[in-house]
Amino acid sequence: MSLSQATVEKIQDYARRYPSAQSAILPALWAVQHEVGYVTSDGMREVAQHLGLPASLVEATSSFYSMYLTRPEGRHDAVMCVNVACALRGAEELFAYCEQRLGIRDGQTTSDGAITLRSTIECLGACGGAPMMQIDHRFEEDLTPERVNAIFERLRTEPAPSPEPPRPAAVPPTPTPAAKAAPKRPAGGSRPREKKADT
Amino acid sequence: MAVATDQVTLQVDGVSVTVPKGTLILDAAKKLGIDIPIFCSHPKMEPVAVCRMCLIEVEKMPKLQPACAIPVAEGMVVRTLTDKVKQYQQGVLEFLLINHPLDCPICDKGGECPLQDQTFQYGPGASRYDFQKAHFDKAVPLSDKIVLDRERCILCWRCTRFTEEISGERELALIKRGVHTIIGTFNDEPAQSVYQGNWTEICPVGALTSRQYRFISRPWDLDRTPSVCPGCAMGCNIQIDSRHNKIGRFQSRENLEVDDGWLCDQGRYSFPYFQRDQEFGSPSIRRDGQLAAVSYPEAVAEAAARLQRAGSSAAGWASPGATNEELFLFQRLFRETLKSPHLDHRQQGIHETDPEDIGLPIADIERCDHVVVLGGQEVIDAAPVLHLRLHKSQRHGVAVHRVDEVKAGLAAVPAEATVVGVLATAARRADAITLQNQLVSKVKGSVRRLIVVRGPNGRGAKDLGILPHLGPGYAVLNGRAGRPRAEWPKAGIRALYIYDASPLQEFGATEAELDWLRSLDTVIVQRFKPSVLDEYAHVVLPGRAFPEKDGTMTSMEGRVQRIATGIDAAHVWDDWRILQAVANAMGAGWPYRTSESIFADLAKAVPAYAAAAPAQGRVLWGER
Ligand code: SF4
Ligand code: SF4
Ligand code: FES
Repeated sequence: MSLSQATVEKIQDYARRYPSAQSAILPALWAVQHEVGYVTSDGMREVAQHLGLPASLVEATSSFYSMYLTRPEGRHDAVMCVNVACALRGAEELFAYCEQRLGIRDGQTTSDGAITLRSTIECLGACGGAPMMQIDHRFEEDLTPERVNAIFERLRTEPAPSPEPPRPAAVPPTPTPAAKAAPKRPAGGSRPREKKADT
Repeated sequence: MAVATDQVTLQVDGVSVTVPKGTLILDAAKKLGIDIPIFCSHPKMEPVAVCRMCLIEVEKMPKLQPACAIPVAEGMVVRTLTDKVKQYQQGVLEFLLINHPLDCPICDKGGECPLQDQTFQYGPGASRYDFQKAHFDKAVPLSDKIVLDRERCILCWRCTRFTEEISGERELALIKRGVHTIIGTFNDEPAQSVYQGNWTEICPVGALTSRQYRFISRPWDLDRTPSVCPGCAMGCNIQIDSRHNKIGRFQSRENLEVDDGWLCDQGRYSFPYFQRDQEFGSPSIRRDGQLAAVSYPEAVAEAAARLQRAGSSAAGWASPGATNEELFLFQRLFRETLKSPHLDHRQQGIHETDPEDIGLPIADIERCDHVVVLGGQEVIDAAPVLHLRLHKSQRHGVAVHRVDEVKAGLAAVPAEATVVGVLATAARRADAITLQNQLVSKVKGSVRRLIVVRGPNGRGAKDLGILPHLGPGYAVLNGRAGRPRAEWPKAGIRALYIYDASPLQEFGATEAELDWLRSLDTVIVQRFKPSVLDEYAHVVLPGRAFPEKDGTMTSMEGRVQRIATGIDAAHVWDDWRILQAVANAMGAGWPYRTSESIFADLAKAVPAYAAAAPAQGRVLWGER
């Protein structure tokens, strides 16, 4: 299986953005994950080819991070933080509640293929809204069993998110040296983040 | 004020030592004979300081420091024996052993394992860890050559760094992270490298081991014999490890000038070819179409009688895997006893030769500024360890150009180059010389060449005149030249003596040659293992494999190196003894009792060899 032309172009574009091709491994793997749904070995092999790097290095990098998926997962990705601040605000009990509610264990996917639930993640930096959960790369904060129920109900019927989370448009495809020297960071960083309005 | 120099003086355990700037504390201590225990550090690789075994105290530094990664500084005071250091060493070992399976009793590394040795010397003696150990896969085949035990791995990164820094292939990587980290290849695909055996030697535990050596022996049961690899003309130094008179494995025996401590798998794992795992037949003579077993003297007498009948129409082929001593006698048998000039050691093709082919010693590749590898991969395939030297040189800034054509080689080297090397196989020798000559007129510096000949003693065979047109020491045979092997079938040859010394460099007859062999009055085959040639032989003279004999071999760079007897095969005649007996049966009257005495005569006939003996020196034709 090979990656789509669009994904390949994306990877080639990432390769041009960094002084060292190695730096493009992470975004290139995201591109694979967004197209295929998880990081396949064929995908890693292609990333290695396009970046001119040994495939072993790509696998070493992708396997280092828990956010790259290694097998097909549900339509929606629900990761609950159980690090210290969330834990103090009852995250572990809430996670147990989620497991019970969905009828699956940590790392599993519901039988209708809608939701994959995990707790393997480090602090996401939303301690002010603890306990929190990341749904398809977006934050849900100040969780309660009721709010969790509502979220899961919504996800059961919602389609998968668009293949790529919104990316800041500010980075030009091939930065000039001047642009590189003064990188323009959009407010809020590159991580998509959506604050709940009603808290 | 102190004069600025590039030397630094420091104190280690109260003793002062002066070393060049940039030296690591570990090496400064080593200079004083102070051993600091290590796992991840390796003299040929960049420090990574991941294992923390080498922690020592440095005055004015608040925490313990890794000796393998900290360069010395003027006036530094280092302590390696304090209570704090000992406490940390115990702590590091205790941590390393928490998940270690401690299956030493069934581990091939047991007895030569740095983890075992250092736990014994520096370790805590007992574990306080009562919990379940983390379990990983054991005996994972990484390839057809290597198995990996992931429980034994201490994650020192030596193997991964080897593939990155030493071979450049980057086949091994650290997969996953934290306590889940494992060593592996991409997608668990079989490893392809031809340098995998080295991984087993640098792994400080029994995680990477050779499948060939699996459960073969305990290291203390091995007899160790210094020798030279029979694989190719590179001349890598090996140690033959044997047990109960059987070869167990070949290990590297570091020679900085030649192999730099590495071997290729083609050489390292070639030993089954030389294993006497059964009897390979007694001397025999063909009677009524059948080979009949006879004694050595009978077979020798038959061979001599047949050769004498053929006289100067006898031809002789000797393998480039034979020793110098044997080759020297072989050519004397033909040139002096039989008065026949028809000698050759070449397989297919006629490759010319001259002493200048060794102009660039292997270690000097590092001192070039440009090296052209004419033929690229085919040169590496002919002498695989050469790649490691080239990769090392490249890392140190030598420009290595792998090209196929002379033109590309010429274009690659700029005019300002000062020290240029050209590498090629014997088949491309003419091109290499063309390139060399063109480069000489182009660049301002010197240009030297190194030709990768075939066979571990292909160089010796040329030096000693196993060639139809050149005598020992490249003596020109005015008007007395013989015919090359390729022409023998049409040269009125009546008898052929094949000395098939090595299963790795066989006579390798073509179909046409086999037909010709069938038509000959006499075919004499002297060999280690039975081969297809036995069917054509009138006399079969069984000889020894290289681990069973002693003598010298000349590598492609003209280095004369000694092989020693590691396996006893007293019931089989030494090959030089067979050759001498055949010549003496024709009245030659040779008096040799040892291979050393043959070398003495050889050095008289070829004075360039006198300088090379008995140390492992190079034959220096220029100083004839
Ligand atoms: S396999 Fe051996 S060499 Fe490689 S990291 Fe593990 S212990 Fe070190
Ligand atoms: S390069 Fe040649 S001599 Fe060296 S280990 Fe390989 S086969 Fe043996
Ligand atoms: S040897 Fe120094 S940290 Fe491993």
